[in-house]
Amino acid sequence: MLNGKLGGSPNLALNISHFPFPLGCMRPNLPIKYRRGVPRLYHLTLMAVLLLAAMLGCSVLGVVRFSWAEMWSSPIFLNLRLPRVILAVLIGAALSVCGAAYQSIFRNPLTDPYVLGISSGASLGAAVSIVLGLEAYMLGVGVCALVTGLLTILAIYRIASIGNRMHTTTLLLTGVCITFLISAVISFLMVLNQDKMESIIFWTMGSLASATWSDVAFVAPVVLIGVAVVLYYCRDLNLMLVGSETAQSLGVEVEKVKRILLLVTTVMVAFCVSACGVIGFVGLVVPHCMRLLCGPDNRKVIPYSIFVGGLFLLLCDTLARTLLMPAELPVGSLTALVGAPLFVYLLYKNKKTF
Amino acid sequence: MNEEYKDCASLSSRVTDDSSQENVTIQLRDVTYRYDDRDILSAFSASIAAGSFYAVMGPNGCGKTTLLRLVAGLLHPQRGAVAVQGRDVRHYSARELAQRVAFVRQQPQTDFDFSAFETVLMGRNPYQYRLQNESQRDWEIVERCMKQTNTWHLRFAKPGEMSGGELQRVMLARALAQETPIMLLDEPLANLDIAHQFEMLQLLRDINREQHKTLLLVIHDLNMALQYCDSLLLLHHGGIRYQGPIAEGLTSDNIEEVFGVRASLSDGTIQLSSK
Repeated sequence: MLNGKLGGSPNLALNISHFPFPLGCMRPNLPIKYRRGVPRLYHLTLMAVLLLAAMLGCSVLGVVRFSWAEMWSSPIFLNLRLPRVILAVLIGAALSVCGAAYQSIFRNPLTDPYVLGISSGASLGAAVSIVLGLEAYMLGVGVCALVTGLLTILAIYRIASIGNRMHTTTLLLTGVCITFLISAVISFLMVLNQDKMESIIFWTMGSLASATWSDVAFVAPVVLIGVAVVLYYCRDLNLMLVGSETAQSLGVEVEKVKRILLLVTTVMVAFCVSACGVIGFVGLVVPHCMRLLCGPDNRKVIPYSIFVGGLFLLLCDTLARTLLMPAELPVGSLTALVGAPLFVYLLYKNKKTF
Repeated sequence: MNEEYKDCASLSSRVTDDSSQENVTIQLRDVTYRYDDRDILSAFSASIAAGSFYAVMGPNGCGKTTLLRLVAGLLHPQRGAVAVQGRDVRHYSARELAQRVAFVRQQPQTDFDFSAFETVLMGRNPYQYRLQNESQRDWEIVERCMKQTNTWHLRFAKPGEMSGGELQRVMLARALAQETPIMLLDEPLANLDIAHQFEMLQLLRDINREQHKTLLLVIHDLNMALQYCDSLLLLHHGGIRYQGPIAEGLTSDNIEEVFGVRASLSDGTIQLSSK
């Protein structure tokens, strides 16, 4: 589709982009001229196939084993494993895309829904809805989580923005403070409602163990629409990464795009949290690895994050339930095991580069 | 003033490819911009003719940057109106305005990881639709703009790997890639060595002469401004001290009044000394 005839030295790096998937996108130094701005279709197809294979493989693993033939009639496979695997992929993808979007909007490599405190904000709503006895209705939990999630992002935005800029330290400290505040409120709620303690703990720890088809039906539309909206604004996110004023003078309605994306991503996070509780660091790890592989261009980072994020949470969840069979680890501890060291490394390196 | 208008009339008659171009391209009417209870610009009115090359001068804090940001639509005045090509800036979408006005910031931001090529390519954003890939034409324009600003050899480089002057030239290339009739440049010479300052000014003058772009250039060096720019917009205390041909504006009276330094003109150069 694209030849490298246009000036410069076409034979210098041209052909690397024609290599198959892993190499083709692993050339961050290659100017866009020699790459396509959007990911190649066969990369995405390959990743989708990989993801489907992983989903199938992960749903076979577990305490109960079954053969290929009896799998499709086994209620354990159909009603427990399959929804759990699908939910893991959906939530992993959603959190990664939200992380990538937050990192570009706030121009800060250290942000994700968890670090910013948005996940805990949403978990407060979930806890409140449990106390109010709404947990039987997914929508009730979802709406409560959404309201507190939106309040959190509003608070962060108001506190951390000085003029038009968001300062790294203020932003992170605000997130930490909000997380502390909310965990205090949640502990308070738990002490007051000891009979409901267990289900509240579930939301603060994060687990996919109770995944059902209704969870999938509840989360899937939100995630699909949300991811589509973020993908639609990918180029605007690139420009916002360079600076909001620059983006404005290059034709991006910065305030409008920012508001739309913060709303959409917060809705996604709130629905994910109301389905599976707070799972940390997914949104931090995945976009970062994608950036290391294919450069800062969000038109690649975000599409690849969908697949790799889904795969990452799927693998973490599978490890969580198979590592100490029949006991189950909280999936959040596994994502934190990978994410927290990376976070510390980024803080240490803090070169402010994406 | 009269002379200048005649000059511009002849200029716009030369512009054949854009017959809709008005004589006056930027108009500020009674613009007041306040920040922190302080009037940065107060009741400021000015008209900039299409195709002119203005030096915007004045001491620190006199509102030069604010003026450019108002024209670029990054700030909106509390009172008065700014019109670009006969239409209020507020009535343009960001995209439409970005097709008309390019803005080169004073301090280029460096905390991102896009290569120079990708950075310049961002200048094509106002012409691209969402989900659309760059076209062959976009690449050709980027290549031309980078060669014009002598940055083509830097196309692989990241901001951290470039010097301040190289980065400044990349930002100019991005503004050129926007293909706008108006370019606003906020101290583009600040990070350049003397050779590159002259090179940049020469380039800007070529752009003004050949592409008939309207340039508003914030510059501090009086002699360089005198040598390269055609017109002068001298700001003082949030208002205009002088607008017109530069050679007539840089008088020792004006300079002493605005900058508070003593100036003497001889052989077309300005000698400065403290009071």
